[in-house]
Amino acid sequence: MDLNEFAAYGYFFLVVFLVVGLYSYIYHLYKNRKDATGVDYEHYSNMALHDDIDSTPVKPVSHEKEN
Amino acid sequence: MFHWLEKNPFLFAVGVFIVIAFAGLIEIVPNFAEASRPVIGTKPYSTLELAGRQVYIKNSCNACHSQLIRPFKSETDRYGHYSLSGEYAYDRPFLWGSKRTGPDLHRVGNYRTTEWHENHMKDPKSIVPTTIMPGYPWMFTTNADIDTAYAEQLTVAQFFGVPYNKPVPMKDGSTTVVKMGKSIKEARELALEEAKKVAADMKDQDVKDAVARGEIPEIVALIAYLNSLK
Amino acid sequence: MENRPLEYDYTVAKMFMLTTIILGIVGMAIGVFIAFELAFPGLNTVFGEGLAEYTNFSRLRPLHTDAVAFGFTVSGIFATWFYVGQRVLKVSMAESKFLMFIGKLQFWLYVIGVAAVVVSLFMGYTTSKEYAEFEWPIDIAIVVVWVLWGVSIFGLIGIRREKSLYISIWYYIATFLGVAMLYLFNNMEVPTMLATSPAGESAIGDWMHSVSMYAGTNDALVQWWYGHNAVAFVFTVPIIAMIYYFLPKESGQAIYSYKLSLLSFWGLMFVYLWAGGHHLLFSTVPDWMQTMGSIFSVILILPSWGSAINMLLTMKGEWQQVAASPLIKFMVLASTFYMFSTLEGPIQAIKSVNAIAHFTDWIVGHVHDGTLGWVGFMIIAALYHMAPRVFKRELYSKSLMAAQFWIQTLGIVLYFTSMWIAGITQGMMWRAHDEFGNLAYSFIDTVDVLHPYYALRGTGGLLYLAGFFIFAYNIYKTWTSNKEVDAERLNASPMGA
Repeated sequence: MDLNEFAAYGYFFLVVFLVVGLYSYIYHLYKNRKDATGVDYEHYSNMALHDDIDSTPVKPVSHEKEN
Repeated sequence: MFHWLEKNPFLFAVGVFIVIAFAGLIEIVPNFAEASRPVIGTKPYSTLELAGRQVYIKNSCNACHSQLIRPFKSETDRYGHYSLSGEYAYDRPFLWGSKRTGPDLHRVGNYRTTEWHENHMKDPKSIVPTTIMPGYPWMFTTNADIDTAYAEQLTVAQFFGVPYNKPVPMKDGSTTVVKMGKSIKEARELALEEAKKVAADMKDQDVKDAVARGEIPEIVALIAYLNSLK
Repeated sequence: MENRPLEYDYTVAKMFMLTTIILGIVGMAIGVFIAFELAFPGLNTVFGEGLAEYTNFSRLRPLHTDAVAFGFTVSGIFATWFYVGQRVLKVSMAESKFLMFIGKLQFWLYVIGVAAVVVSLFMGYTTSKEYAEFEWPIDIAIVVVWVLWGVSIFGLIGIRREKSLYISIWYYIATFLGVAMLYLFNNMEVPTMLATSPAGESAIGDWMHSVSMYAGTNDALVQWWYGHNAVAFVFTVPIIAMIYYFLPKESGQAIYSYKLSLLSFWGLMFVYLWAGGHHLLFSTVPDWMQTMGSIFSVILILPSWGSAINMLLTMKGEWQQVAASPLIKFMVLASTFYMFSTLEGPIQAIKSVNAIAHFTDWIVGHVHDGTLGWVGFMIIAALYHMAPRVFKRELYSKSLMAAQFWIQTLGIVLYFTSMWIAGITQGMMWRAHDEFGNLAYSFIDTVDVLHPYYALRGTGGLLYLAGFFIFAYNIYKTWTSNKEVDAERLNASPMGA
């Protein structure tokens, strides 16, 4: 197996992997209204609408680990 | 399942990078493996031709002139045989251009003469009355940069193995050698020798005098380059 | 000091707003000038024979493209990043002295880089590769500026309060990564001063000179992989980042479908990079690459329209805002032009169409649909939205904005219609044969016929430039007015008459 052939197999599997990844992501978005943390995807639009420095974040960063 | 992608900026960035780097990997890398081999009859540029090519680039001639003949009857009728990959083997950078405001130049050496270029570069309207190309009269008084052309020859010979001072096969079965100087002095002499041949066909007395003095105006180098495009 | 409530700090955003406007004027003015040079060649020597070397079309053309792409557009990207980035991450630049320093350093290095580019291109230092004309020392400076921007992006993300990354941030990150990759690979070059002659001499000739690492067809492949995707990651991706923030914010409407925005993002990332081959149809690159470039260009319509439709539908039920606000007009027309040029592009990438269109003015027209209509309008809208908030002043004049909108729209329409006709006319004339099978037209016939279209195109460009001057004036008057308002918490930007 020369380098070209090796590369070809590599590419083939990478293509399959990426295509499966993309389509399952599409399916995931189609199926689920909320993401894993329980936030409705559409609520993320509020990140732009309520973006003052003192607005409540949609999903705040937790600083518990640092304390 | 896709949560990591949406929340973790680092993993997200890695994901984006894989996706966008992938196409380049497939499209570009394999072609490099079979790096373009020169077709028979293609030889490296001489010092003077390379200096002329630098003049061509310096003035962005490629903004208006392509060097790529596509395989259509209308193009081969107008410009000659369609372009082959191997003909560009010594072109760094490539000069295909993306816009044909003026005609293609890939084989201009086949159908234009030194004298034609001389008149045309000085005042294009004297040859083509309605042309929109501007004149380049300063090329007759500015000297070409032979040293940098020589440095470029050395670079491509050292880093990319371009065959200077080595036999190169020609179409008729013979071989030819493109000489490159061993020192700056020799390179300048070689360039001047070639420049004299070009200047012999030119009419402009100032250019002739300059070459006789040992100088090489840009126009001489540019014409040497244009004549080499065949 | 801690008594003051925390506020967003727009210092760096303001700096880049200034360069956006200045370099926009420079780039567009050069563009108008060289457009008229094609229509009236006498202009090449209008500043005298002595200066002709610096004022003729060929020397100025790279200056035009680079000034609008890397001057106007990239400044606009930076300006909006230093505004949007803070806001959607809910963290202020004032909170980190380090990021503030990096931001300012990035700005000043960028200014130095721009100055070096302008001087070197005027002098004729160019690598000839389109949109990558800069010689190696400037390339290095650009890489440094870009890395500093990366530090800003990821630094700000590192101290954010909002855990999730808004879709605009996704697009900014993609811009950063995409341009970094493309720029590095396309600009691989060997400075000629590294070579040594057999006689032992080194550092010969001009130090500002280099040789491309790639030769001929390979060089063309890398260049158009870069050239096409520079359009992706400078003229598309970051502009989508802007519209996903500014349109919802200005109109007060949530994005029509946030999920669709995520999907279009990945779709665009997957497909865009494959399409570069369409610049090299019928050239000497392998056939399969040409075909792939063609096919993927057509597929590219899907993610592009996904974003554009999402933007237009965001205005669903709120179309009275489009009528009422010139600012929203700019953004809605921008997304319309985005749809338009992402349809036109794939059409041109079809092989049989490309056979006619390639090398003609139709391509130039296509680029300008996108840049004038989509990129230009979106950046103008973004700056209009930012101005009242960063200067804390009311926008100087709504009627000037409306006038600008219509003048520039007319300019774009003149531009692309004339270039369509010019391109198709020339493409058809090049290939015309008479009844004996000889070429019907000499090359100069196909140039002569273009004169009226070139004049019309120049006029279109002039109108757009005039509109841009109105824009600059409006922003200047906003900046210097004494009508203070606190617009930060508003959606619709406050505008004076």
